[in-house]
Amino acid sequence: MFSVSHKTAFVVDHCPYMAESCRQLIECDMLTKSRSQGVIPLAPVSKSLWTCAIECSMEYCRILFDVYPTWKLVNYIVSDSEVHILNSWKQEDQNTHELMAALAAVGPPNPRQDPECCSVLHGLVAAVESLCKITEYQHESRTTLMDTADRVANRGRIICLTNAKSDTHVRMLEDCVLETIQEQNKRAAGSDRLMPIQQCELVLVHIYPQGEETLVSDRQKKELSSMLSSEVHSVRAGRYLASKLNVLVQQHFDLASTTITNIPMKEEQHANTSANYDVELLHHRDAHMEFIKSGDLHMAGSTSRDSGLKETVTLKWCTPRTNSVELHYCTGAYRISPVDVNSRPSSCLTNFLLNGRSVLLEQPRKSGSKVISHMLSSHGGEIFLHVLNSTRSTLEDPPSISEGCGGRVTDYRITDFGEFMRENRLTPFPDSMIDAAGRTPVERAKSQLERYTRYWPMIISQTTIFNMQAVVPLANLIVKDTLTDEDVLTCQKTVYNLVDMERKSDPLPISTVGSRGKGPKRDEQYRIMWNELETLVKAHVGTSERHQRVLECISACRSKPPEEEERKKRGRKREDKEDKTEKNGKDTEEKGWTTDSERLKGVMEREKDEQSECEIIKDSPDSPEPLNKKPRLATEEQQPPEKSKGLALPSASEGVVERNHHI
Amino acid sequence: MPTAVLLDSSLSMTRPVSVEGSEEFQRKNLAVHGLTMLFEHMATNYRLEFTSLVSFSSLWEVLVPFTRDYNTLQVVLVTDGALGIGRGSLRHSLQTVKQRVEDKKFPLPFPFPSKLYVMCIANAEELQATDSMDNLEQLINLNGGEGQIYTMEGPLCLKSVQSMFGKLIDQAYSPFHAVLRCGNLTSDVQVFPRPEPVTIDEEVDPMPRTVQTDLEIVGFIEIGDISSPPVLSRHLVLPIAVNKEGDEIGTGATDDTEEETSTNQMAGKSPNFCVLLHGSLKVEGMVALVQLGPDWFGMLYSQADSKKKSNLMMSLFEPGSEPLPWLGRISQLGPASDAAENPYGEDDSKSPFPIQPKHKRSYAQNVTVWIKASGLQTDVQKILRNARKLPEKTQTFYKELNRLRKAALAFGFWELLKSMAELLERECTLLSDSAHPDAAFQLSHAAQQLKLASSGDSKYAAYEHNITPMLTDFSGGGGAHRI
Repeated sequence: MFSVSHKTAFVVDHCPYMAESCRQLIECDMLTKSRSQGVIPLAPVSKSLWTCAIECSMEYCRILFDVYPTWKLVNYIVSDSEVHILNSWKQEDQNTHELMAALAAVGPPNPRQDPECCSVLHGLVAAVESLCKITEYQHESRTTLMDTADRVANRGRIICLTNAKSDTHVRMLEDCVLETIQEQNKRAAGSDRLMPIQQCELVLVHIYPQGEETLVSDRQKKELSSMLSSEVHSVRAGRYLASKLNVLVQQHFDLASTTITNIPMKEEQHANTSANYDVELLHHRDAHMEFIKSGDLHMAGSTSRDSGLKETVTLKWCTPRTNSVELHYCTGAYRISPVDVNSRPSSCLTNFLLNGRSVLLEQPRKSGSKVISHMLSSHGGEIFLHVLNSTRSTLEDPPSISEGCGGRVTDYRITDFGEFMRENRLTPFPDSMIDAAGRTPVERAKSQLERYTRYWPMIISQTTIFNMQAVVPLANLIVKDTLTDEDVLTCQKTVYNLVDMERKSDPLPISTVGSRGKGPKRDEQYRIMWNELETLVKAHVGTSERHQRVLECISACRSKPPEEEERKKRGRKREDKEDKTEKNGKDTEEKGWTTDSERLKGVMEREKDEQSECEIIKDSPDSPEPLNKKPRLATEEQQPPEKSKGLALPSASEGVVERNHHI
Repeated sequence: MPTAVLLDSSLSMTRPVSVEGSEEFQRKNLAVHGLTMLFEHMATNYRLEFTSLVSFSSLWEVLVPFTRDYNTLQVVLVTDGALGIGRGSLRHSLQTVKQRVEDKKFPLPFPFPSKLYVMCIANAEELQATDSMDNLEQLINLNGGEGQIYTMEGPLCLKSVQSMFGKLIDQAYSPFHAVLRCGNLTSDVQVFPRPEPVTIDEEVDPMPRTVQTDLEIVGFIEIGDISSPPVLSRHLVLPIAVNKEGDEIGTGATDDTEEETSTNQMAGKSPNFCVLLHGSLKVEGMVALVQLGPDWFGMLYSQADSKKKSNLMMSLFEPGSEPLPWLGRISQLGPASDAAENPYGEDDSKSPFPIQPKHKRSYAQNVTVWIKASGLQTDVQKILRNARKLPEKTQTFYKELNRLRKAALAFGFWELLKSMAELLERECTLLSDSAHPDAAFQLSHAAQQLKLASSGDSKYAAYEHNITPMLTDFSGGGGAHRI
């Protein structure tokens, strides 16, 4: 977690000798033949040692920030007669734009500055001090670990780009770093914001101009003390330095290289022809884990053209492409950075991916068999190399879900549950977003699921109300955490609408599964419906006082319980009277609603059609498309009569079932 | 994890076991009894496990082969611990393990993650009397400590072989049962293969994490939004019927013995939440985000094996608060209905995912890299190309010019600014008579600005400063222009 690569301090020498030319000439005056007559070409330009050091270190940072946007931090220090610290360990400072702006402010070294007072030593001392400073990540880790905070390590790396005088000079620099670490560690022991350095890697890169003999010898990593190791790289400026730093960034951050071959690209000049290009990408080396494990690491040539010594794995561009709604079995996803970010093939590939398309990659095998091993895809403007599982799965040929528990049931409310899932989709909330009860967004999501499922019959034949359009407004509102007065009104309207339907004896989508004939009579149907509606609302009655009001409305309006029904049947005449008095009693209250029920009539007409549809099975769980309806299994024939009770309608009394059988 | 069973069929396995009573057993019979018990357990509780049977003595024979490749393996070695003598014996092989040549390496450690279980048809005392136990322990050590040695307790008989294999079953083949929950909708499930504990390498305090037996759905996400996430492992989620005593009836598959058929048919016919969930996930093209433990999540989705067969599958994400960068922190995911504005749009045309990172990556922001000469040359030529098309290309000309200027300033490459200025001045002299008069003004203005910047004068060399087009007035008709 806090390895050496957590903190990288760059120390770049800004002393007068760094203004020297690297002596690699770049022709920037590329005259075209037609224009070249009589024109004297411009002298080629050459970069200074400083420019070489800056652009190579920026390239190192570019790759680092592309692959590790967090956790791997850079502190950039420039050293001359004093120290210029260009940024901090803060995450917000970790981008090349800020660094470039700061470097522009520093400018190139001043060749007229007194060389006596200039030294890279100032920078090295500052780098050690900086490594002692705690990062946000270390701080957070220490805070969460509390009593085991001492387990949070403090390690780091110093990359020093300089022009050293000799091996003795190099040794002097190393000694200075070692001494400073010892000094600073003592200081750090007594501070909250500082941490002693446990391990430091010093990488000294000696840069010298082309055509000169080096005065400093290369040296492998060597332990100078238990805390400090040091290595020396003596490199010519220019492209040699660039490839050295490219190799270093790969070593320091466990990167590996993949070359995508056979990328078809339209030619700029001839739009209708296309040629194949290669693009080299860097990424965490775990993306090659499968190849390493299987010993199948296919090296296309032993070196890649661009990154010097490092090996690259070749993967072939595959057509046809994949689409985003396909869920691949992916065992890893790693951010990439193109080696040659500005080249036309690179930018063509990256733009293609950034536009939302994905590419499958094929692993060339000697046997000639085709194995898709990786996929390139972008998410939120970041490109990832996905590792696809290419070994055969232990889960091949499993039994279908239709063969297991509940697999024979064919009238699941698939469409309704789909709607439920859409209503319970997740969305990101800002970090500070915690509600009054102190719940995080994900806890709120769980509690919403709990509310939404308090009464949720899984199959169509278990429910009446959820097959009725007329109930939808109430059913959608009652599950909510809070209701407004307007919501309560909508619920009441729903109830009055149902009363209206009952008065007109509109048919209800009562399930006839498990019963012969047409099912229960109309008044019985309504009794079942009211009972179910009550069950739904009762499940939410504790949520708030307004929820309670909805239940009260139902209790007041619903048709009478069975005992009363029975009495009614015995004396029809009396019933009429009762009805009238009841109506009169409610008249004032109901007046406002009559217009509403008029208006709702049109809606109800439409509903009637839908209701009759509802009686058909909506979906079968096993069908790939909702349209592909399977004929309902002939449950009626197979089931013994008493099984029909298994319908378990919330209000299905014995009497109802009995009557069904007589019909 | 598939299982390879290695059964010792050497002569010593036919040694009789002294049993008080009627029947006389050989060690081989005990081994077969134990294995039968293991296989029967797998057939009822672990039916999707792939198993292979190999018998060996000095040679070996694959009795039942695997039908597929493997990534990981459990190896069950059944032996009496009589290791043989001379070349080719385990004792000799282990002694010479370091002297082997590259192409004849000792088979352990296996080149894939594995567990090696050694079932000894012998008791510990017997094995410790010789060096057998030491040699077997060495085998486990060679396998990186992954595995275990089981010995028989008490007299060698059917009962003790049963108890030994019972321990193996508990250790390696106990089915993982859990409750899948979505609010108040629940289903008892078996998760297969059972999820193994996961340890994260990069933790300050590494602790193995185990999947909890309460799998709680927290919400739903479109497949396009979750976008082929990396996962640690995949598991089938099979609904199981649990009767009142809490015993499992089975997964309801139809290829059971006759007496089980009726119970399974009943299980098949009572509605199960898994089937509903699977059907809707499939139809809607969505996944369910499921909590596996503290700060650990996974996803449930429909996995089609063929056109006809599909299944409810669970994939485990890497433990942690932010397993997928494009979803952000899982704890910050809440119900879309809580948002002030529907993040999916009223017509489902939008999505809150993927989350955009604060800073763009280099390949998405037109960075300037001049490591290779060609990169620099391309940028210079781009400016010159636009310079020749002034004033039509004024905007692009200055955009490219400023890009070069910024990079040159950051890299301390003032020489380039001077050269560029000279190139622009020369372009100015090369303008044809028919060229637009504005072109000459813009070119000399740009050249002058670059020269000023190359002086390092803070007034002109500020990084954030941009060279803006010179204001001229050729379109105004009056002919007078402001300089």
